[in-house]
Amino acid sequence: MLTRVIAEAAANLLASRQRSALALLGIVIGAGAVIAMLNVGAIAREETIRQFRQLGTDILTLRADGLTGLGNFQLGDIEAVPEMVPGVAEIAPFVIGGGSMSFEGTTAGGSQLGVTAAFAHVSRLRLESGRFISDHDRYELYTVIGAGLARQLSNPYAMVRVGSGLRLGRYVFTVIGILEPVLQSPMMPVDIDSTMFVSLPNVRRILSNPSLSMAIARMRPEAEPEAVTEQLQRYLGPRLRDATLSVQSAKQLIAGMQSQMQLFTLLLGAVGAIALALGGVGVMNIMLVSIAERRREIGVRLAIGAEPGDIRTLFLAEAVILSVTGGLIGIGLGLAGAYGFAKLSGWAFVLSPTAAPLGAGVSVMVGIFFGFYPAVMASRLDPIEALRAE
Amino acid sequence: MLELVDIGRSYRVGPGQMHILRDLSLTVAAGELVSIMGGSGSGKTTLMNIIGLLDKPTSGQYRIDGQDVLGAKARELSRLRNRLIGFVFQSFFLLPRLNAWRNVALPLMYRGTPEAEARRRAIAMLERVGLGERTEHMPAMLSGGQKQRVAIARALVGEPRVILADEPTGALDPKVSQEIMELFLALKREYGVLILIITHDPGVAAQCERQVVLANGVLTETRC
Ligand SMILES: Nc1ncnc2c1ncn2[C@@H]1O[C@H](COP(=O)(O)OP(=O)(O)OP(=O)(O)O)[C@@H](O)[C@H]1O
Ligand SMILES: [Mg+2]
Repeated sequence: MLTRVIAEAAANLLASRQRSALALLGIVIGAGAVIAMLNVGAIAREETIRQFRQLGTDILTLRADGLTGLGNFQLGDIEAVPEMVPGVAEIAPFVIGGGSMSFEGTTAGGSQLGVTAAFAHVSRLRLESGRFISDHDRYELYTVIGAGLARQLSNPYAMVRVGSGLRLGRYVFTVIGILEPVLQSPMMPVDIDSTMFVSLPNVRRILSNPSLSMAIARMRPEAEPEAVTEQLQRYLGPRLRDATLSVQSAKQLIAGMQSQMQLFTLLLGAVGAIALALGGVGVMNIMLVSIAERRREIGVRLAIGAEPGDIRTLFLAEAVILSVTGGLIGIGLGLAGAYGFAKLSGWAFVLSPTAAPLGAGVSVMVGIFFGFYPAVMASRLDPIEALRAE
Repeated sequence: MLELVDIGRSYRVGPGQMHILRDLSLTVAAGELVSIMGGSGSGKTTLMNIIGLLDKPTSGQYRIDGQDVLGAKARELSRLRNRLIGFVFQSFFLLPRLNAWRNVALPLMYRGTPEAEARRRAIAMLERVGLGERTEHMPAMLSGGQKQRVAIARALVGEPRVILADEPTGALDPKVSQEIMELFLALKREYGVLILIITHDPGVAAQCERQVVLANGVLTETRC
């Protein structure tokens, strides 16, 4: 019986294709927006996790903010942190500079980081070849570069490799190590992949006014970021001259990003819900028009022996088929949209497991909800009035 | 079989009441062929709607096989119509989106008959009314006479005991009209079904064993 009702309802909808298609549109947009939103949300969540995988979530970045610009840490104070602050396992201070580097006539922009040997360990950098800066290198003109920078500076005739000479300003640095590729991390002020690392003493040679204003630290496994931040403020705060300490933790940053994502998701969800509701009203409108046009048909069916319930089921089936078809198209478009978004932003596409079933369920609900009133209207028609209709 | 006693039907028009049927009584036995004539607006269709359980009178009693049917609810009325009564309308009223056999099968579908059996019986009935070749035709592809044959097949397929035909030949030319009349006569003989035909055509009425005329809200019987 049900399959017959569905077949008949589908045939009726096909008979007025154009109008059915128009009624579908709202549902398509609504379901599409909901699906796209859920999937983009899933993709973004996955991407966040990926971004933090490199550095880990137990990372803190410290910055000294001066009154007029960057402040200065004392190297000794920083190096004493793991001893003096119980929550910190290790720490690496660094100096940031920016300038263009050249190799065999190829020039690339990027940043320079003056670092101590601890930096590689704290930020979990791995070398593709060579070794990292050591504390014994001091004024040796040695450098370690990111994989991206190495690629940018290389050309088919001259590859940057360990032993190559990189020019920066008046100095030529010898490459002693090349890093494995790394993703840019929201925790670092520079993109490590296109960074040139030098020893702290060498920073004075390449920057006119260097300031030791930042550090990256790793917490002990059981430490809480809020408590560690407080400990750091208590220890380092008084030791800064004319500067204040700001600490950012990966956990807090993730929480912030997630709440932002949630807001975004909520917003898109609201848009989708409104579109679905409008689509539902569209379906209702089409059903009412169709019922008005088919009054005589309803009259004939009633005269022949259809029960009011049969009429209700028929029109409800039409409404549900309409919205489910719209929903399915919407799911397809939504997934395609999310896929396009992932491709455009270079992120990995992941299929949200809840998206498709939710979209299908919601469109069935919309069909039932908005189809119910017209269907009941149709089933309550007086057979004589309906037969009299022209 | 059908027993109408003192049936009244009035419509509220503006402030007053319009009495279309007044204390109308009619008894028809199973298997009779009765024609109802009467001027336009005399209330023939109104009467047929009451007999066909589509409308309720404002007063009076209506019994089918001795059973009162005026107290029945919408669902019960649907079932009674489905099992007991077949309708034939002046302008056929076939469902435009269903082909001939699906139109005919409709009463069986609403009875819950499995599709295969409904199809077999619908096609057999179409063959009986002379449309065995056109079972898959859509209504738009049929002539007026053919449409009315489909409508008659639809009225008969459920083996009802009453056929109510409201001006079944009103939209057809005299030759086709006569063919349809002959079909009714044959079906009455074959199935022993009670047939009520509303008509304006004295030639049609003359072929019925009983003729009644509706005027001023009451029926008067004329013997031929
Ligand atoms: N819903 C209604 N409200 C008011 N008056 C109505 C209503 N339905 C029918 N009538 C009136 O009842 C009268 C009888 O109508 P009915 O359709 O029964 O006539 P009829 O005998 O079938 O006419 P015809 O031969 O033209 O088909 C008409 O005057 C009509 O205007
Ligand atoms: Mg009439």
